[in-house]
Amino acid sequence: MTMTAPLAEDTKLGPKAGGLYRHQNFATGLIVGILSAVIGWVISHALLQSSNWGSDMVVTVTLVSWVVGFNIGIGSFNAIFRWSLGHDEDHEDQLYGAGVGQGWKRYFKFCTDHKVVGTQYLVLVMVLFGVGGTLAMMIRTQLLTPNSQFMSPETYNSIVSIHGMIMIIATIIMVSGPFANFIMPIMIGAKDMAFPRLNALSFWLVVSAVPPILGSFLLGGVPAGWTTYAPLAVQAPPAMDAFAITICTFVLSVTVAGINTLVTVLTMRTKGMTPGRLPIFVWGSIIAGGLGLYAMPAFLMAQSAMITDRVVGTSFYVAMQGGTGWLYENTFWIMGHPEVYVILIPPVGALIEIASTFSRKPVFAYKVMVSGVIGIATLAIMVWAHHMFTTGWAPTLADPFMLTTELISIPTGIVFLCMVGTIWRGSIWTRLPMYFLYLFLFNFIVGGITGIYLSDVPVDQYFHGNMFVTAHFHYTLLGGGMIGAAGAVSYWYPKMTGRMLNERIGKTAFWIIAAGIQITYLGQFWEGFQGMPRRVANYAQIFQHANDMSSVGAYILMTGWIVFLYAIISSWRHGVKAPANPWHAKSLEWQTSSPPPLENFLVDPVVTSDPYGYGEDDLAPQRQPQPVSAEAGSTTGGAH
Amino acid sequence: MSSEEKRDEIAAVVEPVFRGGPLWKRPAGKVLIIWVPMTIIGLLLAFFAPGHLFPENMSAEQEDVKTTFILFTALAAPVAAVVWGIALYSIVGWRKKSGKSDTPPEDGPPIRGGTIATTIWLGTSVILVVVLLVWGMAELSSELAPQQNAMQVNVTGQQWQWTFSYPGTGVTSTQLIVPEGRQIHFHVTSEDVTHGFWPVQLGVQIDANPNVTTLISATPNKLGTFDVRCSQICGLNHAYMETTGTTVTQAQFNAWLVSHGASATSVHSYAMSAK
Ligand SMILES: [Cu+2]
Ligand SMILES: [Cu+2]
Repeated sequence: MTMTAPLAEDTKLGPKAGGLYRHQNFATGLIVGILSAVIGWVISHALLQSSNWGSDMVVTVTLVSWVVGFNIGIGSFNAIFRWSLGHDEDHEDQLYGAGVGQGWKRYFKFCTDHKVVGTQYLVLVMVLFGVGGTLAMMIRTQLLTPNSQFMSPETYNSIVSIHGMIMIIATIIMVSGPFANFIMPIMIGAKDMAFPRLNALSFWLVVSAVPPILGSFLLGGVPAGWTTYAPLAVQAPPAMDAFAITICTFVLSVTVAGINTLVTVLTMRTKGMTPGRLPIFVWGSIIAGGLGLYAMPAFLMAQSAMITDRVVGTSFYVAMQGGTGWLYENTFWIMGHPEVYVILIPPVGALIEIASTFSRKPVFAYKVMVSGVIGIATLAIMVWAHHMFTTGWAPTLADPFMLTTELISIPTGIVFLCMVGTIWRGSIWTRLPMYFLYLFLFNFIVGGITGIYLSDVPVDQYFHGNMFVTAHFHYTLLGGGMIGAAGAVSYWYPKMTGRMLNERIGKTAFWIIAAGIQITYLGQFWEGFQGMPRRVANYAQIFQHANDMSSVGAYILMTGWIVFLYAIISSWRHGVKAPANPWHAKSLEWQTSSPPPLENFLVDPVVTSDPYGYGEDDLAPQRQPQPVSAEAGSTTGGAH
Repeated sequence: MSSEEKRDEIAAVVEPVFRGGPLWKRPAGKVLIIWVPMTIIGLLLAFFAPGHLFPENMSAEQEDVKTTFILFTALAAPVAAVVWGIALYSIVGWRKKSGKSDTPPEDGPPIRGGTIATTIWLGTSVILVVVLLVWGMAELSSELAPQQNAMQVNVTGQQWQWTFSYPGTGVTSTQLIVPEGRQIHFHVTSEDVTHGFWPVQLGVQIDANPNVTTLISATPNKLGTFDVRCSQICGLNHAYMETTGTTVTQAQFNAWLVSHGASATSVHSYAMSAK
């Protein structure tokens, strides 16, 4: 066992530690980013001698300059500059970079501590959900009446597009950002992520990707839905350039984060943390990270060809010049379907941790479960064309894609088997995280079964492009994914903030959310049965009852999320101080203080079993729950 | 796995399911008591709800949609009821500590898996998937099979209206008129961006893409009007890109073509144009 010197938060560093980082923070990022954007704007305009200050080329150069400038300003590339000048960072610089001695200010800096990055992600996700949720409320308000004039069709269409893409970005990072960064390294007994600077880079890239997509409202709006099918998107206003740049930047972030997750788990596991002892959440994080590495390049390709079609006149997607929109649709969905599982697998992993902890039982069929998730990820790359059954692209491939799509229900069934098997005859302890597991079990069955209808080609020919599809994927991504994320927040909240989440408020929020989801999306299923298309600003009279139901449900749902947000914020400030291990759980993150010290453990932990040995104290020695050395337990206090 | 461990597993997992006192006193029996009514409710919904939810059938294809929907729901109901039944029972039957307690209950039994349970679970899902797949493929191939008396209608989408033409007759219209009882082959294309041609009550749809022609067929089997909508966002007025379709008798259809300027001979050869 190696002893590492404990690092206090208030360790005094030399006056020069950190170098340039000392002068950089979110504000310098903004300033350099804006300056750089203005320079890019003026120069591209001058070079092009264009009369149009808002042409596609000018907008593209300006926004790329913003992204690069912001990241220079905040310090994303400091280390590269230093190395290219032949200097290296010394130990004090690294400590400064990890936020030592900077208090709350480190949350606004390029900070390499994985726990700071995790917290930054958590706040960013909540902000993005706030924006996306507000747009959703505007959509539902427009749809209260058949001929609503609340918004013009133009505004409505762009709000629908941006709601979709903001929510996709937010859901992709909602668990892998906060928890795969904050919790996962601690779960495997690591001191940090493998590449702390890339970790910070992945976060600030997402931050710099947000202004362009929001700016699209000022650039004419994106009229094409979040899928932005060509050729409509090729002809769209410059807002589409902003949209594509946001995606390209986001893709870089997800790629960097995915590599970081994989390398961390491959190389940074503590002594005894064999693959068979990894918590399911860790398995989920690396499988989702790897799947993201497969999916994201297709997204980059789809959107960079979109940019060149729009800016320099290539014709990848322009039918009249030999291109085809089907190329876009294929690359988009080659990203789009795996992405669904990039979103869902991490929350599922978190929920299985929750199932085990609050049933006081080992995870049921651990190996089958891990194989199931690997099976999901493998099949996920072979099903993309089920989104294209009604495009006419490849009618002869309908059968094979129907096959792969329906096959995915087998490994998905394993997820249910694992959850239900873990609960079976357990000692159920109904704390807040467990509530979300139950809600997931309800919603995800609904989302899964409605997905089976859509996998059947003849049925899809009725439901495609119809509100039924909208309801289906909201049941899975919100009812499944976001509910899993809410479970993860309530489970790991004490560890991240050092305080207990107020469960009285949390449970109130839970019931409002649970009801809101059913009313909103059962309403949308009803719209779909009746034959209402997606993405319409106005609709025929016959759809009004279903739409009113959905809109009322949406207001309820939003209220629930606001109450949940209130619980998170108020407990962060006023919550009861959390013990190290409030749930008496066995995985490593609970064997260190809440929140953990810099570098996580005072003593390097040694692992002798998986973290699920509930009820096994009197069984064979190899199954005894001793995830941590006794020293680590006694120094952190409260370990069970 | 040693034989002793195997016996442990059987004791922990199987016994409460298959052995150990009267069924209603075992967990499996209690879950069953929830499962049966849940499944019955699911089956009732499967058979009676779709009739109220879908619009009126106007084609063989739409009837297929409804039948498949009923079948899949009926197959899914018992599966959903297993998951929900266990979840529900776990809250009422196995809850050991209230959500307000700060300390956890005693540990549960250390069940780490169950070969029998896993095999049954996987086997059932494989069988269900095979049923779904065979059903879907059979249905699809019967829809694609061309019929003796089929006829062609050309459909063109443009921002933001539909145009229908009846080849050989010179008739074009912004309303879709089709005769009852014949398989209609829709040849669909677009003048600008991608649209989605969706004659709702005929239960089929296909995208309209520029520069290519896509095909879909439907056999209207009821007289009356239906809705034609656009199912693919196509810009500003996507929401208003809709028109009505009408299914009429063959005689009415011929008369309608003539009244829109088609010559009697062209109508005759078009009406006979079996493919
Ligand atoms: Cu998909
Ligand atoms: Cu349209």
